[in-house]
Amino acid sequence: MTLRANANLSELIAQTMEMEMERDPRTLLIGEDVGYSGGTFGASRRLFRRFGEWRVRDTPISEMGFTGMAVGLAMSGWRPIVEIMFTDFFGVCLEQIYNAVAKNRYMSGGRVAMPITIRAAGGAIGVAAQHSQTLWGMLAHLPGLKVVAPSNPYDYRGMLAAAIEDDDPVVVIEHKGVYLEKISDFALGTTIPEGRYTVPIGQAAVVRPGGDLTIATLSTMVERSLAAAGILAAEGIEAEIVDLRSVVPLDHETVVASVARTGRLLVVDEDYQSFGLSGELVSRTVEALGPSGVRGLRRLAEPDVPIPAAKSLEDEVIPSVAAIARVARELVA
Amino acid sequence: MTSLLDRYRLMARMRAFEDACAEGIRSGELRGELHLAQGQEGIAAGMVDALRPDDWMVSNHRPHLHAIAKGVPLFPLMAEIYEKAVGLAGGKGGHLHLFDPDHRFSTTGIVGSSLPVALGHAYAARLQETDDVAIGITGDGGTNTGQFHETLNMAAIWSLPLVVLVENNEYAISVPASEVIAPPGIAGRAAAYGAWGRRVNGIDVEAFAAAFDEAVAHARSGAGPALLEATCHRFRGHYEGDPDVYRSPAAHAEMAATGDPILIARARLLERAEADESSLDRILREATIEMADLLESVRAAPAPDPANALTDVFARAEP
Ligand SMILES: Cc1ncc(C[n+]2csc(CCOP(=O)(O)OP(=O)(O)O)c2C)c(N)n1
Repeated sequence: MTLRANANLSELIAQTMEMEMERDPRTLLIGEDVGYSGGTFGASRRLFRRFGEWRVRDTPISEMGFTGMAVGLAMSGWRPIVEIMFTDFFGVCLEQIYNAVAKNRYMSGGRVAMPITIRAAGGAIGVAAQHSQTLWGMLAHLPGLKVVAPSNPYDYRGMLAAAIEDDDPVVVIEHKGVYLEKISDFALGTTIPEGRYTVPIGQAAVVRPGGDLTIATLSTMVERSLAAAGILAAEGIEAEIVDLRSVVPLDHETVVASVARTGRLLVVDEDYQSFGLSGELVSRTVEALGPSGVRGLRRLAEPDVPIPAAKSLEDEVIPSVAAIARVARELVA
Repeated sequence: MTSLLDRYRLMARMRAFEDACAEGIRSGELRGELHLAQGQEGIAAGMVDALRPDDWMVSNHRPHLHAIAKGVPLFPLMAEIYEKAVGLAGGKGGHLHLFDPDHRFSTTGIVGSSLPVALGHAYAARLQETDDVAIGITGDGGTNTGQFHETLNMAAIWSLPLVVLVENNEYAISVPASEVIAPPGIAGRAAAYGAWGRRVNGIDVEAFAAAFDEAVAHARSGAGPALLEATCHRFRGHYEGDPDVYRSPAAHAEMAATGDPILIARARLLERAEADESSLDRILREATIEMADLLESVRAAPAPDPANALTDVFARAEP
């Protein structure tokens, strides 16, 4: 299977599911508008025609019901991919997610497997408070779920394949801002191998080396941080950028190793600041290096407000390239 | 009682209002998924007689016409849709989240979540011993959520003054209602709760108004909830920009020709000789001009001050 030269990210996601469903006949996809129409962003195009309505199921708007159904399917030996259209809708099926999907293996003494992949679109694109959240911090708080948020096409394919292959539940948070972006337009990971491959879940990547500070981030904030690093470099500040790739497991070792060299950590997170990824990463870094092992720590995340509709307001709360550069500068000063 | 001619005018204004909203998508002033209710004006315009200012309404992701029917003033309404500082929420809510407590109107962008909120208003009416009713609005898709069942069950056991209004436009995004709703349909589910239930043709504004009046009267009388299913068509894609691959051009042409509540009202007005072609045309023109003027004044209004992004999270500014 090759991708069209000017394919976009949603096409890559669809093709990845196609490869995985072909590889393993127990894999199936359920969710709203995933079938006949090929997905809200086209991220499941062709699958319905290819695999039919019993393996690609258009569901009613019954998230609690069909997420619970995935639990039963998994216990019956199937490997469901559940699409919750937007992360914001986790609210209506959280019961099944945190009490069954995440806990059944543990509660059964390891005897029950939950090979469920939950895909959802997160992030802000001007759709306000109920449609702009990423919520990976909330999900990561629940033991038993792996939570990944790729930043580039290579990882989108490799991490989705790894999630589907995983015998544990994995939530994959895709960013709505990039589905329609051309693969060649990404800053990183634009070369996609022809054959199947996976990217292991739980290994961060240093995507830009630098000696003055460490920026740890994920999802679309990786590109923004790279852009900020370009601005900083022109001022003589070299930022090292770590793409975390997954929130659970959180590869803090890679971050700690980087901060051990740079002495400074900035966490950039498109999620609410308090009680989330940024605090977790900062505390793990301090625990590892000791309070005297770091010269500076900063967090740039959403300032604990719902995401507003108006662009002027949204820009204020979502970390921007300029804000990343500004905070990095303050940290190094 | 509102005359058919007045309803025609209201529907024309509703359509022109949403045309003005759609301009913001084309021009890039608005981002995100703008859900228009064009084709569904017969329902909104049919609600105005039965509703009182003290009644509560909780709408869904397709809320603009409901807001107009509930009496939300057009300037702050459109200004919020255009995310302006003078909008209902100062640009924080946007087109999907419209709140006007003065007119007892609110919305949610989460499908199904409107109904329990309306249940709360109905419960409050009971506590306060008023005869206010609450209208909870959902699409056909929303009736497949658990909240639909939970709400109707509670409203029935406590005889609450709730009207669940279902706009059945046949589709939940791309998924046809016929494929995801088990027979006997939506209104038929009322029987399971011992509730009043009816299905009505929502593109016929008079038929809808009569059924809605009855549903509201039933709820207001203290006899418990009413479930009204109004059939209709959504002319536009699910949102502005939806490629709408699930409907054919022929289906669109058919909808436009036979399923337009404005055209149906027009034909009836002419047939009854309650208006002539030129006066009906004038009404359409006036509606277009009114909304173009409104849009112009909305456009002239300033965008919100970025500093306001951090306010309103709690009742008092954080210490
Ligand atoms: C709980 C939840 N799931 C999914 C969505 C995404 N979504 C928004 S509108 C919609 C379809 C709603 O269909 P219906 O209730 O029939 O209303 P219509 O759009 O036809 O007016 C969906 C699936 C959502 N907003 N909330």
